[in-house]
Amino acid sequence: MMKFVGKIREKIINTNFKGNLENLKESLFRLLKMVKKEFRLLKTDKMNLIIALALPPIIIVLFGSMSNIKYDPVPIPCIVVTNDSNTFINPNNYTETKIDDFAILYVDAVNKSKDLDLIAVYNSSEDAYVMETARNDLISSRIQIIIVIPVDFSEMLSSRLPGIIECIPESSDFQHIQDNLNAVQDSINIFIEDNHLNPKFVLQAYEEYSIPSNYNFKFNYNITLMLSFVIFGISTVLTILVVVQEKPIARLLLTPAKRVEILISKYMTYMIILSIQVILLITSCLSQGLYLRGSIFDLFIALFMVGFTGVSIGIFISAVSKTKTEANQLFFAFYIIIVILSGIFIPISAMPEYLQVFAYMLPLSHGDPMIRGIVTKAKSVFGFDFFSLLCISAFFVILSFIAFLKRRYEV
Amino acid sequence: MSSYNAVKIMVDVQNLNVAFGNKKIIHDVSFSVKKGEIIGMFGISGAGKTTIIRVLTCQIEKKNWTGNVKVSDLTPAKKKNHSKILANIGYVPQLETLNLYFDFKPMVNVDVFASNYGMNKKEAKEIARSLFTILDIPEDTWDKSLKKMSGGEKKRVSMALGLIHRPEILFLDEPTTGVDASKRYDILSYLKKLNRQLNTTMFIITHDLEAALICDKVAILREGKLLEFEVPQKLILSLPSEGLVVRFIIEGLNNDKINIIKKFVSVQKIIRVGNEMLEVLMNNFEESLPKLIQYMMEKGIKINSMSRDVATFRRYFQLRIQEEEEKEKILM
Ligand SMILES: Nc1ncnc2c1ncn2[C@@H]1O[C@H](COP(=O)(O)OP(=O)(O)O)[C@@H](O)[C@H]1O
Ligand SMILES: [Mg+2]
Repeated sequence: MMKFVGKIREKIINTNFKGNLENLKESLFRLLKMVKKEFRLLKTDKMNLIIALALPPIIIVLFGSMSNIKYDPVPIPCIVVTNDSNTFINPNNYTETKIDDFAILYVDAVNKSKDLDLIAVYNSSEDAYVMETARNDLISSRIQIIIVIPVDFSEMLSSRLPGIIECIPESSDFQHIQDNLNAVQDSINIFIEDNHLNPKFVLQAYEEYSIPSNYNFKFNYNITLMLSFVIFGISTVLTILVVVQEKPIARLLLTPAKRVEILISKYMTYMIILSIQVILLITSCLSQGLYLRGSIFDLFIALFMVGFTGVSIGIFISAVSKTKTEANQLFFAFYIIIVILSGIFIPISAMPEYLQVFAYMLPLSHGDPMIRGIVTKAKSVFGFDFFSLLCISAFFVILSFIAFLKRRYEV
Repeated sequence: MSSYNAVKIMVDVQNLNVAFGNKKIIHDVSFSVKKGEIIGMFGISGAGKTTIIRVLTCQIEKKNWTGNVKVSDLTPAKKKNHSKILANIGYVPQLETLNLYFDFKPMVNVDVFASNYGMNKKEAKEIARSLFTILDIPEDTWDKSLKKMSGGEKKRVSMALGLIHRPEILFLDEPTTGVDASKRYDILSYLKKLNRQLNTTMFIITHDLEAALICDKVAILREGKLLEFEVPQKLILSLPSEGLVVRFIIEGLNNDKINIIKKFVSVQKIIRVGNEMLEVLMNNFEESLPKLIQYMMEKGIKINSMSRDVATFRRYFQLRIQEEEEKEKILM
C-alpha cells in the first residue's frame, strides 16, 4: 500500500515538473511575442522613435563640441578711470614740471595683461561724469571691472612711495569676484616689473552689487539662476498638451467658433495662469530672503516674458504633435537643448561662433542675464535680452498659429 | 399656392464632384431636401457618404470640389458663409470622444457648446432640459460626471448637443454603429421623435439598413455615385411585382440549383439569404408562382418550406448594388 502511494506521489511530482516546464515555455513564448508587439506599437509613432533614438547622441555631440573647445578664460572687459594729474608743482620754487606720466604707463600694463580687456580709458579731469558713465557700463554688463587710478598716482610713484590702485569689480556673481581681482593684480605686476617700481603696491577693491552681509549670497546666487529655468519649465510643461489632448476641438470647429479664437483663448488662459505663477514665485523668493536690488515690477515683467516664451513654445509643440507622447518627447528635446546652450554649463561667449548664434536664438540664454541684471544690479527690464525674448516668443506664437490652422480635424 | 409647395428647400446639391488630388471620390451627385425630411444616406463603407456630408458642413476646402451646393440658401463654397451655415446646422459625430468633454458634466458641455452660438447659460439650460427629457436622459445624471454614463446615454447627450442651438438641419454620422442591437431601435425612434417635435431636417449616415424605417427618403451611394434618391417604399414598389417575394428553403441548395431556377422565364432576381434559403422576385407574381413550383419539382429541386412576403429595404439595397455590380462586369 505504502509503495503504491509513493509511486503515485512520484508521478505527481514528475507531471508537475513537466507541467511547470511547459508553462514556463508558454510564458516565455508569450513574453517574446509581447515584446514584439511593443516594438510594433513603437513603430506606429515614428516621430517619437526618431526623437528617442536621435536625441541622446545629439546631446552628447552638443556637449562634446562645447567641451572640446580649448576653454581659454575670456579676458575680462574693463574700463580705466584716471584721476591722476601729471603736472607736478614744486612747493619750493612754485615752478611746474612735467613728471613721468605713470598713469599712461599703467594703462599700457593693462593693455599688456592677457586677463584684462581694456574697453576705454576715461580721464576725470576732462569729464566730470566719468564715474557715472563707467557705472552704467558695469550695469549693462559691458564691463566687469572699473579700475580707478587715484589722485596723485604719478606723484606718489615718483616719490618712490607705494602706489595705490582702486577697483570696482562686478560682484553680483560671487564666483567671479576672485577672477576679477586677480586680473587687476596681474596688470599691477606687469606695471611694477616694466617700470622697476616699488613692489609694495596696494590694491583697494570696492565690491559693487555684492549682496549685503545680512543676506545669504549663496541663496541669492542660486535662486536667481533657478528663476528663469523654473518659470520657463513650468509654463512649457503646462501647455504642451493643451491642443493634442482636447479631442472635441474637432466638434467645436463645427460651431461658428473659429480656429483663431480657440487658440487665442488658450493663450489668454495661460497668460493669466502665468501671471499668478510669477506672482507666487516672486512672493516666495522674497519671503525666503532674496535680495532684490531692482524693482518688483521689472522682475515681474522679466519672469512673465521668460514664461511667455515657454507658453508659446509649449502651445507650438502641442499644435504640431499628433499624440501626447510625441508632445512629451518634443518638449524634452526642446528643453534639454535650450538648457545646454543657455550658458550655465559654458559661457556663451566661449562657444564656437555658429553655436553662439544658435544659443542667442534660445530663450534661456536671455532669461538668466536679464533676471540677474534686475535682481543684482537694479537694471531695467527693457534691454537687449527683453527684446530678444519678445522676438523669440513672437516667432513661436506665429508658428503655433500656423500649425494650429493647418492641423487636421475630422469628425 | 398650396401649403405643400411652400415647404422650404433646406439642402440643394447639384452636380457635386469631389476629388482629392487625382482621386475622384464623388461623381456628379445631385439631390435636394425639404424642410423636416429625414434623409438616410446608405452605402457600404468608402462609398462617399461622409465626404458628401463634409462638403455640406464646410469641412472640405473649395479647391477639392465643384458643383452648386446650398445649405439653407447659403453656399459652403464661400468662406464667409461658413459661420452662418454652421450656426444653422448641428452635427453628431460617430465618436463621442470627438464630441463631448468627458471631464465635464452634461450641463457644462451644454454651456460650452451653446456659448459658441452666442446663447446665454439660462437659455441653453432650458433647451437642454427639454431635449434631455425627450431623450429620456435621467435627470439625476445631468449634473453628474459624464464619464459614469453608459454608452447609450452618452450618445443621447451627444444628440442633444447637436440640437442645442435649435438648428434647422442635423447631421448624424453612424448614430447606431457601435450601439447594442437592442438600443439601436431606441436611437432611431428618438430621432423620429425629435424630428416630429422640432421639425428638424435630418441627415443620417448609416450602413444600418434598418434605419430606412424612419427615413422619408433614402440615398443609395456606391463608389461615389448616387444610385437612388427616393422614398424607400417607392423603391420597393419599383421591384418586379411591386416587391412581392417568395422565400424557399431548399434541401442541399447549391449554385447548380440556383442556376436552374434562374432559367425559369418570369424569374427576375434571386438572392440567397442563408445556407438553404432563397428569395425570388418574379414578374406576374400570382400567376408565375404555381408554375415556378411545378418547374422546380420537375427539375428535382426539393422545397422544404415556402413563404411569401414583401421585400424589405435591405433586399432592395442588396439587389440595387448587385445590379450595379453586374452592369460593371458587362462593361468590363
Ligand atoms: N481627405 C481625403 N483624402 C483622400 N481620400 C479621402 C479623403 N477623405 C476620404 N477619402 C476617400 O474617399 C472615399 C470615401 O470616403 P468616405 O466618404 O469617408 O466614405 P464613407 O463615409 O461612405 O464610408 C474613401 O475611399 C476614402 O479613402
Ligand atoms: Mg463614413
